[in-house]
Amino acid sequence: MSGVLELSEEARERMAELRGLSEKAEAGDRNARKRLRRLVRSSSPEVIAEASDIARRAEWMLVKTISAREPLMEEALQERMHQMRAEIAGENPTPLEVLLTERVVAGWLLVEVLEGLVSAQYQRDVKAHRVPPGHVMQQSRILESATRRYLAAIRELARVRKLQAGMPVRVNTLNVLAG
Amino acid sequence: MLPDFATSKPPSVAIERRDGNLYYYRSVRDGEKVRKVYVGAGEFARIFAEGDILRRTGRKAQREREKAELERLEALAAPVEELSEAAEVLVRAHLVDAGYHRRKGEYRRVRSA
Repeated sequence: MSGVLELSEEARERMAELRGLSEKAEAGDRNARKRLRRLVRSSSPEVIAEASDIARRAEWMLVKTISAREPLMEEALQERMHQMRAEIAGENPTPLEVLLTERVVAGWLLVEVLEGLVSAQYQRDVKAHRVPPGHVMQQSRILESATRRYLAAIRELARVRKLQAGMPVRVNTLNVLAG
Repeated sequence: MLPDFATSKPPSVAIERRDGNLYYYRSVRDGEKVRKVYVGAGEFARIFAEGDILRRTGRKAQREREKAELERLEALAAPVEELSEAAEVLVRAHLVDAGYHRRKGEYRRVRSA
């Protein structure tokens, strides 16, 4: 995997810290909750921005793969993704919603690419040779995992929106990030 | 009788030269034991041996192609997995910060928050 498609070491450290503090805060640690609040405000916008950037780069790589560098196809896919982002994110999305939208779009594109590659391989090889069952299992595992993540991404975005709608404090928290 | 050469696993091959003649044998696994099966002599030995080498090389190349294909699929999926992981951590941090906690996979509001 290329380095530009990975989170930086600093972002990883912050994520680990966010994860640890979330666990402690959920377990009732008030001190951890206060530290989490500070970290969410100070660090998470940068981590969100970095993750969103990775999403865009990953999408670009997937577009290149699926279009086989055909300019017209690339254009069409870019436009399709632009429309998807606009439809899914809606008006005035918070940074977290933007990130979750990117996750949905990237997940959708990945599933499309994997399905295309896997089915093309079967078509190409149907007369040449029989694909071994172990190989089919491995391909299916990768595709299944991508599909599961894609569906989870949709559920997560819906959940965040639902919770935001019923909780003004949360909307304010995210709007702070937007500013 | 010749072994079944169409089996998925190619047998080991050996050409032996005795008294100026070529003899070709295949090593075939039979349970725990490995048997040496006579295939042919002279020009036939050479043709069979070359055929086996070609088949073996072809299978190895095929395995390498399949391995490369899987690595390619995994490389495409990796950044999206990274993104998913980051999103999950961030969403959880925001929700916990906003006074939610997870209970049986669902987020619920903590009354005291």
